[in-house]
Amino acid sequence: MAQTKYISSGGLAFDEEKDMRKLADLARKGWVFEKFSFLGYKLRKSSPEELQYALDYRKEADEDYFAYFEEAGWKHEGTSGGYIHLFSAPKGIAPIYTDQSSILEKYQIEKKSMGKAALLMLFVNIALTVVFYLFTTASFYQIYETPIKLTFTVIEAIALIGLIFTGLPYLGYVYRVRKWKR
Amino acid sequence: MARNDALETGELTDTSFYILLSLVEARHGYLIMKNIEELTNNEFSIGPASMYTTIKKLLAAGMIEQLAEEADKRKTYIATKKGLDLLNKDIQRREMMIQHAKQILNGGVKE
Repeated sequence: MAQTKYISSGGLAFDEEKDMRKLADLARKGWVFEKFSFLGYKLRKSSPEELQYALDYRKEADEDYFAYFEEAGWKHEGTSGGYIHLFSAPKGIAPIYTDQSSILEKYQIEKKSMGKAALLMLFVNIALTVVFYLFTTASFYQIYETPIKLTFTVIEAIALIGLIFTGLPYLGYVYRVRKWKR
Repeated sequence: MARNDALETGELTDTSFYILLSLVEARHGYLIMKNIEELTNNEFSIGPASMYTTIKKLLAAGMIEQLAEEADKRKTYIATKKGLDLLNKDIQRREMMIQHAKQILNGGVKE
């Protein structure tokens, strides 16, 4: 029987809580978090454990940051992208966030940085459309129409994927910030 | 970082209140957590992520300051004059609230 398996993430901006519940459910069935993988998590076979998982974003995490978690009974499980930190703790350990204003801040920071990335991708998409339009008016366009069209279709598809992968998470964080402001 | 922060309005959240209160004496971050739990008989506890965020906020607002790093690199903090002033102001505010509540509730019992 396999000792590891992969599960996909539902997207942290949309349903972080669901991901965390899924990890806890699987730990109960004997699959614990091993490390982050592309768009998901790698799990390792272990004895069933009653665990809870929690996730935090922190760009400049220092020794104190991890010391607080350890002291509170939370084990650092892994870090993705240098700023997404996953922690686990036995059931019954108090949550990592205990006040509304800190949770709000967590999502405000994410909203801001994702918003910047989405805005950049929006500009890239607009710029590509403009450049493509300029090409169609150029004198050499008739001769190279097929390769130019093909190249732009590929580049624009990539840029559009980039916009979707930043724009949708941004909207997810906008929703979260609204929810916690209430 | 501009946000609807309680510190800007001159009021402390319960979390900031207890952290500032613990930093009347110099303490390590994680000792603050333990101190608050002991002080309140576990009635009030602060999670590690909330602790870290709030300490950063209090530092940025000049309410606490960092003392020299120790050998194990853990940071020690202490409340500044500004922080103590705000703490005292907030204690008065909270006392007033309790008084108001007592006025109403005790009055209600007599009727």
